[in-house]
Amino acid sequence: MSEGALIVQSDKTLLLEVDHPDAAEARKAIAPFAELERSPEHIHTYRLTPLGLWNARAAGHDAEQVVSALLDHSRYAVPHALLVDVAETMARYGRLRLDKHPTHGLVLSSVDRPVFEEVLRSKKIAGMIGERVDAAVPDAVGAVVVHPSQRGNLKQALLKLGWPAEDWAGYVDGEAHPIALDQGDWELRAYQQQAADAFWEGGSGVVVLPCGAGKTLVGAAAMAHAQATTLILVTNTVSARQWKHELVRRTSLTEDEIGEYSGARKEIRPVTIATYQVLTMRRKGAYPHLDLLDARDWGLIVYDEVHLLPAPIFRMTADLQARRRIGLTATLVREDGREGDVFSLIGPKRFDAPWKDIEAQGWIAPADCVEVRVTLPEGERLAYATAEPEERYRLASCTFAKTRVAEELVARHRGEQTLVIGQYLDQLDELGEHLGAPVIKGDTTVKERERLFEAFRSGEIELLVVSKVANFSVDLPEAAVAIQVSGSFGSRQEEAQRLGRLLRPKADRRTARFYAVVSRDTVDADFAQNRQRFLAEQGYAYRIVDADDLGSLDAAAG
Amino acid sequence: MSTTGAARSLADQLRGWPDERLAALIEARPDLGVPAPQDSAQLAARLSTRPAVVRALDSLSLLELTVLEAALHAPGSLHDVVHAAPASVDAALARLLDLALLWGTPEDLRPVSVLAEVLASPQGPPVGEVPRLLEGLSGPARALLDHLDERDADGRFESVTEPVRELLDRRLLQLREDRRHVSVPWSVRVALRGGRSTREPVDVVPRVATSEQSQRIADRAAAGAAFELVRRTELLLDHWGSHPVGVLRAGGLGVRDLRAAATLLAVEPAEAGLVVETAAAAGLLAPGSADDVDPAWLPTEAYDAWLTQPVAQRWMTLARAWLANPRLTGLIGARDEADRPVNALTPELERPWLPPARREALTELVETEGVLAAGTGLPSLLDRLRWRAPRRPAGRERAVTWAVEEAAVIGLTGLGGPATYAAALLTDGDAAAGLEPLLPAAVDHVLIQADLTAVAPGPLEQELARAIALVADVESRGGATTYRFSDASVRRAFDAGWSSVEIKEFLSSSSRTPVPQALDYLVDDVSRRFGTLRVGGAEAFLRSDDETALTALVTDPGAAGLRLRRIAPTVVVSDVPLHVLLPRLRELGHAPVVEAADGTVRIARPDVFRSRTSRRRPAGAELARRAARTSAVVAALRSGDRIAASRPAGQRAALPGDILSLLRTAAEGGDRVWIGYVDHAGSRMERVVRPLRVDGGALLADDEGEQRSFAVQRISEARLLG
Repeated sequence: MSEGALIVQSDKTLLLEVDHPDAAEARKAIAPFAELERSPEHIHTYRLTPLGLWNARAAGHDAEQVVSALLDHSRYAVPHALLVDVAETMARYGRLRLDKHPTHGLVLSSVDRPVFEEVLRSKKIAGMIGERVDAAVPDAVGAVVVHPSQRGNLKQALLKLGWPAEDWAGYVDGEAHPIALDQGDWELRAYQQQAADAFWEGGSGVVVLPCGAGKTLVGAAAMAHAQATTLILVTNTVSARQWKHELVRRTSLTEDEIGEYSGARKEIRPVTIATYQVLTMRRKGAYPHLDLLDARDWGLIVYDEVHLLPAPIFRMTADLQARRRIGLTATLVREDGREGDVFSLIGPKRFDAPWKDIEAQGWIAPADCVEVRVTLPEGERLAYATAEPEERYRLASCTFAKTRVAEELVARHRGEQTLVIGQYLDQLDELGEHLGAPVIKGDTTVKERERLFEAFRSGEIELLVVSKVANFSVDLPEAAVAIQVSGSFGSRQEEAQRLGRLLRPKADRRTARFYAVVSRDTVDADFAQNRQRFLAEQGYAYRIVDADDLGSLDAAAG
Repeated sequence: MSTTGAARSLADQLRGWPDERLAALIEARPDLGVPAPQDSAQLAARLSTRPAVVRALDSLSLLELTVLEAALHAPGSLHDVVHAAPASVDAALARLLDLALLWGTPEDLRPVSVLAEVLASPQGPPVGEVPRLLEGLSGPARALLDHLDERDADGRFESVTEPVRELLDRRLLQLREDRRHVSVPWSVRVALRGGRSTREPVDVVPRVATSEQSQRIADRAAAGAAFELVRRTELLLDHWGSHPVGVLRAGGLGVRDLRAAATLLAVEPAEAGLVVETAAAAGLLAPGSADDVDPAWLPTEAYDAWLTQPVAQRWMTLARAWLANPRLTGLIGARDEADRPVNALTPELERPWLPPARREALTELVETEGVLAAGTGLPSLLDRLRWRAPRRPAGRERAVTWAVEEAAVIGLTGLGGPATYAAALLTDGDAAAGLEPLLPAAVDHVLIQADLTAVAPGPLEQELARAIALVADVESRGGATTYRFSDASVRRAFDAGWSSVEIKEFLSSSSRTPVPQALDYLVDDVSRRFGTLRVGGAEAFLRSDDETALTALVTDPGAAGLRLRRIAPTVVVSDVPLHVLLPRLRELGHAPVVEAADGTVRIARPDVFRSRTSRRRPAGAELARRAARTSAVVAALRSGDRIAASRPAGQRAALPGDILSLLRTAAEGGDRVWIGYVDHAGSRMERVVRPLRVDGGALLADDEGEQRSFAVQRISEARLLG
């Protein structure tokens, strides 16, 4: 009986014992095909999914490698059915392929007649294919013309049918535009370089990196590979400005070469940064800004925060399959469960690094997460108990007890750059008033926001109260303490994003502190537990303290 | 080949056999011994019956059958005719003699009488003449003959065609008794095959196609499957113990229940069916009753005993049960002739021939070197089994295929190769001892993590597994188990009587890693909320804003019998009903008012008692009713009397001998007889007849002027009417 580091469960989860001497080797062996699901301190859980296995196939791994990796590292006998299933699933990828044909254009072909016939008879793809051209593809048993505009839709439909197609049709080069990284006073980190290279080799796909790990630079490196006009899609205007700022600073691009396409400005330049919001804006049932996608012959499209990509953008993106696409994200978890669409439309996962690994390399700051539990005062408890269910979360979140705790925490961390993050505007205003700090929320003008963020970055002000507008893509490198008083119910990725605000390495290598203030015995506590799951699974352990015991905090932290 | 010289008959020969040889015969052909034959003559008679012979033939190998056939046609030249080494022929002959399919001496072999009929193949023209007959045969006729010879089968025909006519005329084909088939006679066959009865040698056992694989890997895979089988059985029966599934009216398990079981076990329904059937065969699962209404499939008491055994022992119980299970579990989920789905655990699945067939297949498998080759392995195994018993019904090959597939699920084979311990199971040895070292060792700890999960990195010791399953929910199963702690799971432990200290102690003692703070908090949180709301039953409550008055009441010795309990400063409850409580309180000098359910005060006025008016029926009606009742009784009586009068009187007989003599007497005296008899359809009839004659087991009687015959053994009762 070998004593491997891996336990293969019959429900297709793989348990990796972290402290095992062979753990590192086993992790390396299974990482290409298994999705890391949870990585708490002792045992990490990976899962075998069809998407993961197809990702591995796309990266050139075959079923034999997967099976032998499982057999080599498994502590116990590997369930036979699971091995069979792995082989069968992997064999499904690439039975169909999309190629560019000199005369027929885009062609879907297969060397497996039954599969090909089955797929062609499916109602789901009936409208996407044209005439049969079996003779046109010499090695295949069957081939059919596909309209180029249906390339994405077809891939999406085939994935749903369980026969993902391999896309060999290649990409258009797009309009050339010289872009180079300007590495004078800084250097691309090893993992950023690997991520950009892995993307370029794969053609299209998603790079998964923690918040604060420098995803913008991976995007910039990808642009330097492409040397072509680029469309960058980001979540909001502030983030768009930051991208622009970073690109000007880190690449050979100048201000004039970069355009911003947002609610405020509509510039189309060789590198254009657009917000999801403006693209998905509807006027009279039509999307007036969709033309942007065809405004230039883009050579590369960058999707920032892929896990937030709105559903309409998926539909639009389906038409862009001939262009290279890179998705950047901290997590593939989508609250709407559309991971499959990301796979078929943006591409398979090309690079992934666990948070703790990057933290260990010192690229992101270590963080200490603390859950502070407050007890609702008697009166509020009564109000809570008698409230309508939909009101409960707001009542529990906005208790004045939280404001008091926030005050106390701010006082403890005086001298450190601190963010107070919340969901409800009344609460934020109240906090701003009590703490004497400026408040940034949805209706704050972009100009004012930028001014405040800049003042915060420069250390001019050290305390900001922010709403969810600051969840993403706002670069606040010096923020060292975050106090979260409320959030969007149980959103796991929001919690991760908020912690991400703190993870830029600090000048003095300080540990960042993340406080989640939670009302005990209410739905707030239930939501908090769900919110924390992603981070707990990434290895961030929450400590719990009572609001009354804040004094014991630093003693315990050591 | 010891025989007793020249025996005159088979019975004679059997009389001369030593006891051991007779015993061996009965052992080899157990159907001969049931019921025990009275003497050798009866045994000999039984040996010559068709069913006994057919049964014996089914167990013969291709070699033995060929030798037997040759012995029928050419007893003198066995070694020349049978295409096999002389030693093989002799061995086969010895077995045939031992089985008493043949008797006599090797020089003078005699088949049992019915054999020629069963194996019938016409003798045909003398061998020497055949070449001459073959000469000048027309092309189509020759082709037909060659075809039949090659197929070694009979030909069917509707009408006589020219080539057939030609062959029949030359006696190269012979018409069967049913006049619908033609067969190639023995001598023609031998002539066509160059003087032998078969073209290929018949003493070469087909080899099983194998490929190489290390025994270690096979063992590992098999042990993994064995472990899974035990785990799944436990999981399923545990679940069914608390969530019983119903027994179908036809006595099986519903399709939906089976599918649910498959989902629970995370396997295909066919595999779930095997688990269910094996558990039932091992006596761990049986129909019982959970709610005294509908029968349900429940774990048996044997299951509880089974649970306490080590895994290897538990597996052996299951594996042995599977091996001896006469039920064709492979059919589950398929559709029967009437296109109904075949359910698991239905009585129809029993096939008495299955256990020996399964055992035989596995024995072959175990004796094979290496593992079954992918693709060709199974067909070659079937070929080999076919050689061993060619006359076995072809449908049973499917059962062999299933047996081989099931063996992998049961954990006897791994990746196509037999495990080292499988041989022990087949010889009823201690397979558990062989399996034991291959199983993952039980672990006595879990790893608890900050995301409120616990992982047991191997099979847990039983006590620990039960305890942890109480405080946490299972998330993933397999070699290891993942548990998740939640409010609900911790509360479950409190409900089961654990205290928060006990839970924490249990967690810290069973976790190899420090218990994360979040879990401590979870336990504390649940404990804080647990039991803050109290529920109980009471008949009445007393409340008063005057706490002192309440205290006085509770401590009043006169109120001792009222079982008052104070549950809050202003509330007292009692389990004495209100109508007792109220007067007692008044006696004690209090002035209680009664509150209605909605909190309003009821006016307290002493109840005034009234008796219920009894309703009286008018006198006349009662008389009329009585008169009517009496007349009905009398009518019934009269009618009963009339029926009694019409019944036959006189001498009565119910035993066969008595009936016979009574009938004879009646026939002699010309008397009428009432008889009760059972007709062909099985229904009971009665008749009054005049017997004329009784002989040959039949009664000839005059039935209403018509002569009829009744079988005497069908007459159950007779009465002489005179």
